[in-house]
Amino acid sequence: MSETMSGKMNRRSFLKVMGWSTAGATLAGCDLPSTVTLEEGKEDVVSYLMPEEYVIPGVGVWYASTCTQCAAACGIHGRVREGRVLKLEGNPDASLNHGKLCMMGQAGVQGHYNPDRITSPLMRSGGNLTPVSWDKALALLEEKLGAVNGERFAWFTGTISGHQAALVDNHLEAMGSSTHYVHEVVNNAVSRAVYQDMLGESNPRLRLDKAKMIVSFGADFMGASVSPVHYAGQYAKFRTNKERGLLVQVEPKMSLTGGSADLWLAIKPGTEAVLALGMANLLLNKIKVSDAGIPADVRSLIDSHDITKVARITGVAGHRIQRVTQLLTERSPSLVLPGANAEGQAQGYDTVAAIMMLNHILGNVGKTIESSGEFPFPQLMARQGGTADLLAFAEAAKSQKLDAVIFHGSNPLFTAPASLGLSEAMASIGFKVAIAQFPDETSMAADLVLPVNSYLEDWGTQVPANQGEDAAIHVQQPLMEKLHADTRGFGDILLTLLKQRKNDEYAQFEDYYAYLRNAFAAMPAGVKNNAKNNNEFWNTALQTGVIKVASGARQLSSKVVSFAAPAEGGAGLTLIPSPRLGLFDGRHANLPWLQEAPDQISKVVWDSWAEMHPATAAKLGINDRDLIKVSSAQGNITLRVTLLKGMNADAIAVPLGNGHTDYGRYAKDLGVNPLQILDAIKEKKTGELAMYGTQVTVKKVGPADDVSLVRMGASDTQAGRKLVATIPVEQLRRTEGS
Amino acid sequence: MAVNNRLINPGAGFARAGFAGMLCLALLLMSSVAMAAKYDVAPPSGAYKGEDVPQPIEFPHNKHVKENGINCMYCHTYARRSKVAGIPPTSKCMGCHKVIATDKPRIQKLTKYWEDKTPPVWKKVHDVPDFVHFTHQKHLKKLVFDRDFPVENVKEVCAFCHGELENMTVAKKVKPLNMGFCVRCHIKNKELGAPGDCWKCHK
Repeated sequence: MSETMSGKMNRRSFLKVMGWSTAGATLAGCDLPSTVTLEEGKEDVVSYLMPEEYVIPGVGVWYASTCTQCAAACGIHGRVREGRVLKLEGNPDASLNHGKLCMMGQAGVQGHYNPDRITSPLMRSGGNLTPVSWDKALALLEEKLGAVNGERFAWFTGTISGHQAALVDNHLEAMGSSTHYVHEVVNNAVSRAVYQDMLGESNPRLRLDKAKMIVSFGADFMGASVSPVHYAGQYAKFRTNKERGLLVQVEPKMSLTGGSADLWLAIKPGTEAVLALGMANLLLNKIKVSDAGIPADVRSLIDSHDITKVARITGVAGHRIQRVTQLLTERSPSLVLPGANAEGQAQGYDTVAAIMMLNHILGNVGKTIESSGEFPFPQLMARQGGTADLLAFAEAAKSQKLDAVIFHGSNPLFTAPASLGLSEAMASIGFKVAIAQFPDETSMAADLVLPVNSYLEDWGTQVPANQGEDAAIHVQQPLMEKLHADTRGFGDILLTLLKQRKNDEYAQFEDYYAYLRNAFAAMPAGVKNNAKNNNEFWNTALQTGVIKVASGARQLSSKVVSFAAPAEGGAGLTLIPSPRLGLFDGRHANLPWLQEAPDQISKVVWDSWAEMHPATAAKLGINDRDLIKVSSAQGNITLRVTLLKGMNADAIAVPLGNGHTDYGRYAKDLGVNPLQILDAIKEKKTGELAMYGTQVTVKKVGPADDVSLVRMGASDTQAGRKLVATIPVEQLRRTEGS
Repeated sequence: MAVNNRLINPGAGFARAGFAGMLCLALLLMSSVAMAAKYDVAPPSGAYKGEDVPQPIEFPHNKHVKENGINCMYCHTYARRSKVAGIPPTSKCMGCHKVIATDKPRIQKLTKYWEDKTPPVWKKVHDVPDFVHFTHQKHLKKLVFDRDFPVENVKEVCAFCHGELENMTVAKKVKPLNMGFCVRCHIKNKELGAPGDCWKCHK
């Protein structure tokens, strides 16, 4: 059946796979297009001209592919009925996500069927983007990219992997450039740098499932993380192990993961390193764990952080720090995780290094932190991004070092803080090409927009940066024919770009499908898993969606890296621009299902809002639902406030995702974008943007309003109804032991 | 927007007259069913005066079913395997009409569609809302195959909901196909296992 999905696509194109369709029908005497009606004779129904053998109208067939809704690259199965993809689920054969899929993955069909997709190439003429033919668009590409000096050309993408990444590399080489900016707002770039220095590997396998206790410094591993489904699956095992795992979450704003913790501790933003040093102090000086491998300068830093000082700076009660530290030694192996709020500071590297040092002291390296092995195809591995490349790109644009840039899978004009001056700087880039599915801020600022297929219409391979048990290449295949005649596959566009530069080399590939068939045939025999021939290997790969790859063995080191004395947090309110599973970094703001899904903690839908602790609000004379103005040195945003006890009193959180000035009917002009008012503070060692380092002031500008902020079930008390029975901790300790 | 009041409140005058007629017919059908099948089924009650729906080809159900004795499931082949009965693929029509009645204008029109490789765009006659999960497969299993009802007489079962297509040319809606229509039949046939749970249909 996969043969039909692939090789015979062209033959199928005349077979009008339309099935029960409502397309095209209009109501008599009414200009509106018909929606679903039960009236006879109003809806069209079209039969197959000649049915495929396996097709039964009304019966779905599942095909394997790969999700690209975030950088995790989970395996998916899509149900296809009458030639339409209707429902996505996780692929059980993918050891990354074990048949599970998160809500962002589920909402993928809404991106695919989205009414705001770009359906033809757009070219800027007289200031406006106007539709043009592909011939014209490609001629312009040829002309402009042919004339550009290679050193002044760059690619700007989100996380990219597989054969598409290899082709981007080839195109850069053909252009004589080596500049590929990779940008992700939700990233672990600072942690990767620490992992590399400490463990000798930037993407070690974190085994949450093997730990008996996890202390997470704000790592929202089940929510906005680099692989939410993978870690949620591990977390489920962690919780259902014979000895039930214990999760302690320390963060300034409660995340989805924090909401599931056994103990949630609010910490003053920017003091995570102090807490880690305090815990190390207890481990070494009180519990007398060996300090082998800790450099002298770090040891003296640890010794200077006694529990009283640490409790004062972090706002976490001393007896809790002691108890958590004690439990860590009792429940070995454990796992201590750094999160986005630990990374996103001017001293993010130092903070993560201090947190990771606890894993060294507790002996977790090798037990709950494993090597992910040597992936045999380095050219296909994920190019992971962060925010350092965004800053570098803004600087290059500002100093007019770029003449032509191709954008794909990233929206820097939305995610860049206004203080970077990116929108003005971008104007200096002579030729901006966006390979885009939607009219987002970046594609609407481009000079040429090439409409790309949705991931459910496209060929590709994806290599997850964080692999499951088995390292694998995930295969992406079209689940249906493309919806719009004039969109093209990303791989096909890449090949066209390459043919314009190196026709001799690439003319042999008619399209990206042919390129992939050739690349699969060239894979070593070990990967083909005893397939009789290349055809069988290809068909098996499409059927399972997963090509398992044996990684070479590798050993992790465990070395404590030196770091500087930590900062003690800001004096005022710190802004937490918090991403969440759902709208994520804003890329899913145009999917109504995800706008409609309430924020996991504050339950707000379809909006932007600020989260504050009731005590902080009371001090500032602010009530729940008041309109407030949040001001930084860079600007301000006005929005309504939701009071939340899951907050540190020195923090104010504004969830990410909304505040688009473009991006289609669902996202445009909805809410505000907190990224806009961030200070452009650089993390000192890695050059990443310190996203959690901006100090703000808050002022009430309007009274509470019952209609402007929609909260689904926003009650944090049981109002005496005993929905969940509780007893005081003291009583529990008395009756059940501590 | 579509106004479906007619579906909810079928024309009362017609309903009364039509209802008596349908009931007689149903009784007749039942008697014949009783002789052959393992158990009796009480057919649904209710009538509806549908509109004439012009189709791209005026397909004569009567010629196929009554005059030539072709089984419903010969063309609507998906009915026993899927939730939908399926409009027959054009290739199915051409299976016979490459040689049969090729001089007739309707067949010439069909042949033109076939040669142009574009199936005719039919107008839908029978439909239930998207929040209703109706399946032909389950109904045929229960009403035909499980009770050893002679498959050659399947048109009598199809007629429960679609009326006597053997007497029509193009299909016309003659049963209300609303919730009352479904539920009345499910209540009557409760003993036979017709489910009464909301979620059996609304899932």
